[in-house]
This record gives sequence, structure tokens and C-alpha cells, in this order.
Amino acid sequence: MKKLKNAEYLISLFLSILASLIIGAFIMLANGRNPVTGYVALINGAFGSKYNIATTFAKTVPLVLTGLATSISFRSGISNIGGEGQLYLGAFGAALIGITFVNLPGIVGIPLALAASLIAGGLYALFPAILKVRYNIDEVIVTIMLNTVAVLLTSYLVNYPFASEIGKMGGTEIIAEGYQLSRLVRLSTLNTSIFYVAVISIIMYYLLERTSIGYEIKMVGQNSNFSRYGGINVKRRMIFAMVVSGALCGIAGAFEVLGVHYRFLQHISPGYAWDGMLIALIVKNNPIGVVLMSIFFGALKTGSISMENATGIPSELISVIQSIIILFIAGESGFKAKIKSFLANRRAIKKAGEKNA
Amino acid sequence: MAEKLIELKEITKQFPGVLANDRVSLDIEKGEIHAIIGENGAGKSTLMKILYGLYQPTSGEIYFKGKPVSIKTPLDAIKLGIGMVHQHFMLVPSFTVAENIVLGVEPRKNRFMMDYRKAVSITEKLSKTYGLKVDPNAKVESLSVGIQQRIEILKVLNKGADIIILDEPTAVLTPQETEELFKVIRKLVEELGKTVIIITHKLQEVLALSDRVSVMRQGRLVGTLKTKDATEQILAEMMVGREVLFEELNRIEVPREEVLTVKGIKARDNRGLMALKGVSFSLYSGEILGIAGVEGNGQSELVEVLTGLRQAEEGSVMIKGIEATNKEPMEIRNLGVSHIPEDRLATGLSKKATITENMILGYHNREPYATKGIHMNKKPIRERVSRLIKEFDVRTPSQDVTADKLSGGNMQKMVIAREFSFDSSILIVAQPTRGVDIGAIEFIHKEIIKKRNEGAAILLVSADLDEIFRLSDRIITIYEGEITGEFKRKEISKKEIGLYMTGKRKGMRQGGVQDEEIKKC
Amino acid sequence: MLKEIINLTLLQHTIRTATPLILAALGGLLTQHAGILNIGMEGMILMGAFFAIVGSYFFSSSLAGVLMAVGVGILVGLLFAYFVIDLKSDEFIIGIAINILAGGLTVFLLRSIFGVKGAFSSPDIVPLPRFRLGFLEGIPLLDTIFNNHTVFVYVSWILVALVYVYLYKTPYGIWLRASGEFPEALETAGVSPRKMKYISSIACGVFCGFAGAHLSLGYLTLFTENMSAQRGFIAMAAIIFGGAHPIRTLIAAFMFGFFDALGIRLQVVGIPSQFTQMIPYLGTIVVLFVVAKSYIRKIKKNVEGES
Repeated sequence: MKKLKNAEYLISLFLSILASLIIGAFIMLANGRNPVTGYVALINGAFGSKYNIATTFAKTVPLVLTGLATSISFRSGISNIGGEGQLYLGAFGAALIGITFVNLPGIVGIPLALAASLIAGGLYALFPAILKVRYNIDEVIVTIMLNTVAVLLTSYLVNYPFASEIGKMGGTEIIAEGYQLSRLVRLSTLNTSIFYVAVISIIMYYLLERTSIGYEIKMVGQNSNFSRYGGINVKRRMIFAMVVSGALCGIAGAFEVLGVHYRFLQHISPGYAWDGMLIALIVKNNPIGVVLMSIFFGALKTGSISMENATGIPSELISVIQSIIILFIAGESGFKAKIKSFLANRRAIKKAGEKNA
Repeated sequence: MAEKLIELKEITKQFPGVLANDRVSLDIEKGEIHAIIGENGAGKSTLMKILYGLYQPTSGEIYFKGKPVSIKTPLDAIKLGIGMVHQHFMLVPSFTVAENIVLGVEPRKNRFMMDYRKAVSITEKLSKTYGLKVDPNAKVESLSVGIQQRIEILKVLNKGADIIILDEPTAVLTPQETEELFKVIRKLVEELGKTVIIITHKLQEVLALSDRVSVMRQGRLVGTLKTKDATEQILAEMMVGREVLFEELNRIEVPREEVLTVKGIKARDNRGLMALKGVSFSLYSGEILGIAGVEGNGQSELVEVLTGLRQAEEGSVMIKGIEATNKEPMEIRNLGVSHIPEDRLATGLSKKATITENMILGYHNREPYATKGIHMNKKPIRERVSRLIKEFDVRTPSQDVTADKLSGGNMQKMVIAREFSFDSSILIVAQPTRGVDIGAIEFIHKEIIKKRNEGAAILLVSADLDEIFRLSDRIITIYEGEITGEFKRKEISKKEIGLYMTGKRKGMRQGGVQDEEIKKC
Repeated sequence: MLKEIINLTLLQHTIRTATPLILAALGGLLTQHAGILNIGMEGMILMGAFFAIVGSYFFSSSLAGVLMAVGVGILVGLLFAYFVIDLKSDEFIIGIAINILAGGLTVFLLRSIFGVKGAFSSPDIVPLPRFRLGFLEGIPLLDTIFNNHTVFVYVSWILVALVYVYLYKTPYGIWLRASGEFPEALETAGVSPRKMKYISSIACGVFCGFAGAHLSLGYLTLFTENMSAQRGFIAMAAIIFGGAHPIRTLIAAFMFGFFDALGIRLQVVGIPSQFTQMIPYLGTIVVLFVVAKSYIRKIKKNVEGES
């Protein structure tokens, strides 16, 4: 039965994506462009060459992490909308280690930097979690507010005390070489962080789907009364989920520093955490789905740049298509319910008619 | 011959998966008090909601004073003079009484502005005319349930209702408030010429109050009779569909030891009022102790205190000599306690989870289902669930179905399967057969007796006196948070126990203590 | 240097800066009373700002710009309402989707229509008219602070008064509040909660359209990418600060506008402005905490009152 429900959902998802791509095609036509060449350039740009594939997967890294972060938090019923803020703090934490402990060999330094980002992100998420669990303060608003606070705080840090000597660039110094993750494909930003992410994904899958902790998180999110009654420590599980969520976002930030920019920049994230959140929502918090959908989104982002270079269609069209996919997915259960009740009513009227006849 | 105000003809209502009303035809006469009774899920509420325009019938017609009418929204019903007082009050908590009463028909100073002063004077006038005292400027959230109901009635009267539908009005009232309500209903009908339709499942009330009664069962109308021709037995049989004869259950004598000792428990309800005022009793192995009482007298809170879901302010709970007061649910479970909650949908299961996931709760971190408490092992889990499904006759195509696809009876059997499989020495069972079909009721009762015979101590809380009497070895009565009586099952009759349940009498039968007759205040 | 920062023009700027916050917050306040938390105001304001420029540029009139902003606002409001109310989608998801959609769409159209990246301005864009209030001229303090503002500044205050009267003195406002607090009660009283929620959502779109128009047509006729600059979230903060009450929200919006204006000045002088910019956000968390604690205290008081 569950498999059937999943199949139904995959079909809706496929149809939503298809519908959005069609709408995207109309937008391209309205702008006097050929959608076919546009989409061909998109696919080419995403997978057409070694460099392109590498860039696609490079873009996948932060999406998978923030997507998994959102998944675990939403599963437990506590909504972590503060991913951006946790990402920024995690990024800064990693950068701080990388510019302070410059003489550490990579084998010690990198885990240290990752640990710092993990702790920064985790603690930043712990705060709203406690507010929620102890005082029942709505975590959505708190985490949204904390986002801006974190961005502002790191912006201050990076423009004043930790500003780079090069001048007002809104960034720290370059991190020491030992911390820099090596690139895998020449000229692309794909780096060894992808291996870390692969491992993290497997761990998260295992945690969520195969352990009693994952089971408890799931039950808490579905019915916290039931969970408490059955002996689960609801508060502890919610806090755990939230902290892990923050930690994952922190690590996402760390990889941007350690693998991509080699320094902390004040606009280091163009909204990765929001994208991750959308990915998790589209795949209904399923870890495997997060990975697959992140690749899809990564492909869209990479491909859109080539599409722009080749056809002049602005790459922001992708954001538009993304948001339309979201709308369709978000409305999916509503659409289904409306269709179902319409059909059921028709059937019942027919039946009653037959009886009366 | 009384005028037929309303005629419902062949009303049918189909919901996805449920036929709520099946060609129901009945009529309401002017000036009568007409009771519509049936078990939970019989379709009575749905029928009246159709009359009030909240639902549309799939087929069928409504006639008003002989003419066919179409009631598409509550506004249409209100125009015909039909008003409905719902089981769950439709009052906006932060608004005042006056604002609630005129909601939707606010008096205006001009086209846009509301005339609040007029709303207050309208409220005062209504209050006086119908003898229902309310304070127009009080905020609804601060008022008691009985007063809130008065506001609901005034609301309906303000809209000019001549026909008033009351949906399970006494479900949330104390016995005094119920008396008051009956007085008001009689006044409305006898002095003010209104017509009242009352939906209820309480047979006593039907016999005391109504002129005619219609019985519904599983969406169909079984029949309508004059109340003076009806008895409890006749009505019960019509409601249930067969002769209601409960067979004696097989009891074995079991060695008894005290497993649960409750002393002086005081606790508050969700509103902050004292729900338990010093409750003490003991529970022994191999017995079923039934707690009889009108809902809302502290039973729910008592169960929650015993299972760790509610704080006790004073008093102690000891399980087999071990201190268990205010412990967490997990700790209490580890002491050998299982709990069938009174609201299975809210507390007993997770609708979106599969049956497997639902049934493994409590075991999910124990060997062999979880290695070292962490790694869950699919095979042993599925085998266990599969076995329990068979043992407890849970009708489902597979264990991977989500719980919300089960019928009420099967959901309950699933909960019971899980809770009874823990091999617990104490079972706390609340409303075990609420909303469950007859076949499942029999099964559940037999399982409870089986556990008793195996030596478990069972605390049974039920609003169904028949169930209490059928299952219990001992019965205690609770009224307004206090234990008012303790009896052996054979020593007391249903009629007498009602007096203890409504606080009119107090005292223990055992040990020959004299009963005190409590004068009505 | 202090005189450079703290002077009368700061107060004048506060009023200017607070205006889009007031407008958006009024819209969000209405949906809040209808039981919907709209996180998409950020996107709605951005769309309003962009389409105001489009209207003003192509029709050479600021009124056309405003109408276009409002028109788009109504469409977005309808979209939001349809998904959240009729399809019962999660309001957070739809809000986030609108924000992303607005971000992408405005940049996309900026490039397809105007052929530029980053920002667009042109002498052909007609700005909003300013008002010289005769009765203020000549009064030293008041003239500097309150006079010569663009139209929406004054309109926003009028709207605050109107929204207040609407919510608390008219039946329609009562219905709106009931639709959020207890929709079933409203339904059984014969009024459609769905209708009220739709109205609130459309109104929010309109008000955010106003806010956007004020941003892009108010002083500099300019549209830049991401012009809304978190104002949607600050508006949310103002609503929470003000407990969704129009007057208190107005005060909160002024406070936040003050800190925003102050921040800009500090930046000019070289003092880090990030901490003053943080104040609305941290302040909101403090307010939430205080409200939560006082709620707990209230329950305890109820309890003690009994015994």
C-alpha cells in the first residue's frame, strides 16, 4: 500500500516538473526565444562535458546537506527555517579555524574545521529548539529572525575584526593550504567535499530509516501525543533533530569555505538553505529523494548558465521554473482531494439515482 | 393533528468511503421535543447538519411547512427559522458574549459601522425573555461550559429560530447543568411555542424529556415512536439491531496481591481547575476494577496521572511498592503498566504510520527488534506484528497499510494488540469500546477477561455502564474528582449506582459503612 | 560627529523608511487575523517595486505604476489564497515559493524587458508625487520631519486608521478576526470564512504592492535586484511586535524604520551598522519570549486563584 502511495506521488512529481517546464517554454517563447534550443542547451550545460558534469555535482553539495538538514527537522515536527543562518555561522567557524591554526596538517585541520562548523550550526539551532520545547515559542519566526542576525553578525566580523588585508572585499584571508580541499576536475569547483557528502548522506539515510532514533523522530513528527504516551522522550528527540539539522547546515557552510572559496565571504550563500528546504519539501523528507532532487536542481542551476551563454535566455528563468514546481507539488494533495471528491460525488449521485429509479 | 413543520424525504449523504445517511425519511411536528438517537456514527449529526445547510444531501428532499425547500448554507436554514446548537461550541473565545450572539447579524450604526451598544441591549433583552442569565460584556474564554451553552442557545434564538436543533447538548454538562438545560428546553417549548430536536445517545434523557423519538442505525432510520410507548430496552435494541443480551463471561479465581496503590491524588485539568480532589484506591492482580462516572468528573485526568501524562500536585502512586508518582511514561511502562487511551486517534496511534510502525512502539528499542537498541531488525519486527494481527483479529490487507485506512473497531483492536502484548501486570483501559462495532466489542471484552484470568490487574474506565457491569469485579464511582463509592459488582444495581455517580449519595458498601444521603444543593 | 548622525533629518528618514514597513505590515496583519502567516511578503514587495517601475516607465505616469503594482499584488494575493485556502497547502511553502518566484522573475524580466543587469533607472520613469502640507510650513521641527513626503507616507497613516476601524468597529473586521480565530463559528453564523481569508490575502497583495511602489517610485526612481532587502521579514517582525494590532504595529514599524535609517547613517560615517540592523530581529525574539512567559504566568495565576 505504501509502495502504491509512493508511485502515485512520483507520478504527480513527474507531472509537476513537466508542467513547469512547459510553462517555462511558454515564457521563453513570449520572450522571442526557442524553447527547444533553450532546453537542449540546459541539458548540455548540465551534463554535456566533464567540466559541466563536475560543476553540476559541485552545486549538488550544499543542496544535499541543507536538504537533509531540513528533512530531519521537518520529520520531527519542528521546522528549521534557519538554515541560512546556521550555514553562515558554520562557514565562518570553519574559516576562523582555517586562518587561525595555520600550521596544522590537513588531516587534523580539516576535521577540526568541520567540527567547528558543526558545533556553530548545531548550537545556533539549539537555541530556537529550547525556546520551542520549553516555552512553546514558535520556531518558524525565531529561526527566520535568527537568519538575518547571523548574516549581519558574520558580515560585521568579516568587514571589521577579521577583514582581509587586501581591503574591503567582505571576506577573510585565505585559509591555510592544509585546509583547502583539493579540486577533482580542473577549473571546476568540484572538490573532495563530494566524498564527505556521500558518506554523510549514507549515514543520514541509515539514521532516519534504519535506527530506532529515526523511528522515534518519525513518530514524534507524526503524533507527539502518541509518542509521549508510548514512552518516547519527545523533547529530547525534537532537540536532537534540530541540532543535527543545524549541524548539517553548518557543514554545508564549511564546505563552501574549505572547498570552493577558500575563505569566508559575506555573501557566501545565494540561498542554499532555502533551496535545500524546497528540495526536502518536494521529496517529502525522503533522504534518497533529497540526493536525487539535489542533483536535478544542481543540473538546473549549472545548465541555466550555459543556456544563457548559448541562447541569451537569462539564467534566472530557472528560479521561476523551480518555484512553479514547488507550487504544483505543494498543491498536489489539494488537487488530488478535489478531484477525488468530485468523482465520489458523481458516483454517489449516479448510485442514488439508480436506486430511486 | 400536529402540523408537520419539517419533512425529510429519502435523504442520502455519501462521503468518500462512508454512506452516512441512507434514504432517511422523518418528520418534525410543531411544538414537539423530538429526540434522534443512535450510536456513534449512526448518522444523526450528519442528518441535522444537512437540515442546517452545513452539508448538502447527495439525494433526497426537504419540505418546510409542506413546500419543498433548498437549504444550501446555514443562512438558508436561518431564514427558515432553523437554528443549531452544536456539540462543540461555536463561540469565538476572545470575543465578548454580545459579539458572539450577534455574529453574522451585527446591528449597524450605518452601512459600515457596528453598533456595539445595541448588541449589548439585544443580549440583555434575549437574556431576560428566555430566562438565560449571561453577562454581555464578558469574554467567552473566561466562562464555564454551562454558560457557554446558554450563549449558544441565545445566539440561535437571536436569529429568530423557531426550530432549535441541539447536538449532544449534555455531553459536556454536569448533572445540575443538565437539569437546568432541561428546564430551559421545556420552557422554550411549552411557554414560547418553539420546536426542539435533540440529538443524543443517552436513553435516560430521551425518556425524560422527549415527545417522540427516532432511532438511527448505520445511516438508516430504524423507526420513530412516541416516547410514552418506548422503554430503554426497546430503544437499545433498535439502536443496536439485535437483542442486547450480554452473556456471562468466564471468570477464574486468581490469587490477589495489591499491585497499584493510589493515595490522596490531587491534580488539575487543562483549564487549571481541580479535577482530582484526593483520590485513593487500591488495585489487585487478577481483578477488573471499574471506574463508573459521568464523563468529565476526573476520570480522564486520573488515567493521565497514573500513566505519567499529567502531573499530580499531591498524593502518591505506588506500583508494586515502587514509587511511581509523576514519573515519565517510559518509566511507568517499564514498571509493567500498559495503557489503552480513551482517544485512540489523538493518543493511541499515528494515522499516517503503517500498522507495523504503530504496533512496534514501546518495543522499538528492545532486543531482538533493535540490536543494541539502535539498529532496527526488520524480520523480527514484521513477524511479531504479523502474529499480533492474527491473534487479535485486526482486519487489514497487510501490515504496511497506514492506520487511517482501518475501521474504528480494527484501529482499537490494533491498539489493544500492542498494549496487551507487553505482558504487563497492570492494564489501564479507558473507553475500550467507544466507536467500535458490536462484533469487535465482544472480542475486546473477551480479551480483557482473558488478561484478568491470567493474573493482570485491570483498571477499567468507561462511560458505558453496561460495560462496567459486565466486566468489573469491583466498581468505584467518581464524582467531581472524588471517589463516592466502592462496591462489589453483585452488590449494587445500575439504578443505585447512578446516585453515587451523580453525587447524590456517598459512602462505601464494603465493611458495612452507612451511606450518607447528600442533600441537593 | 554625533550631530551628523542624530538630527532632524534622521527622523525624516525614519518616516520614509518606515512607510513600506507599515504598508506591508498592515497587509500581513490582516492575513494574520485571518489565521494565515504570510512569509511571502518579501516577494510581494519585490514584485510591487518592479511592476511599479514597469507601469511608470511605459505609461509615463506614476499612477500607472501604482496600478500595475496593485494589479500584480492582487494576482499574487489570489495565487497565495488559492493554494493555501482552497488547496490547503502549507502557507510556509507557498510563501517561500513566492519569494523565490519573485526573485527570479524580477531579474528575468529586468533583463528581458529592459536589457540590463543589476539595476534599472531612467529619466522616463515618473516618480510618485510629493505633498506640501501648507499648514506645516513655517513650523520649525514639524515641517522638517513631516512635510514634503511622497504620497504613500501619508496614505500609510490613513490606512492604519482605516484598518483599525475596520478590524474593531465594523462587522466585516469582526468576521475577518473570527475567520482566523474560529472559522467554524463564523460558518455556522452564515458568513463564509473562506471569503474573508481571500479578502485578507488580496488586501495583503495590494498593500505590499503599495510598499513596493513606494520603494521604487518614491525617491529615487530605481529598481535594483533584491530591492525588498528583508523588508518583508521586518514587516513580519513588526506584526509580531505589535501583536497584530494596527496601532502597536505602526509603532513597531516606526521603531524598525528608525534603526534602519540609523544604520545607513552609521555606514556612511564608517561605524559598523550591523548591530543596529540586528535590533528588529533580536527584539522580536525577545518579544516572543516575554509573551510566552507572561502566558505561562497567566495560567499559573488562574491556578493560584482557584486554591
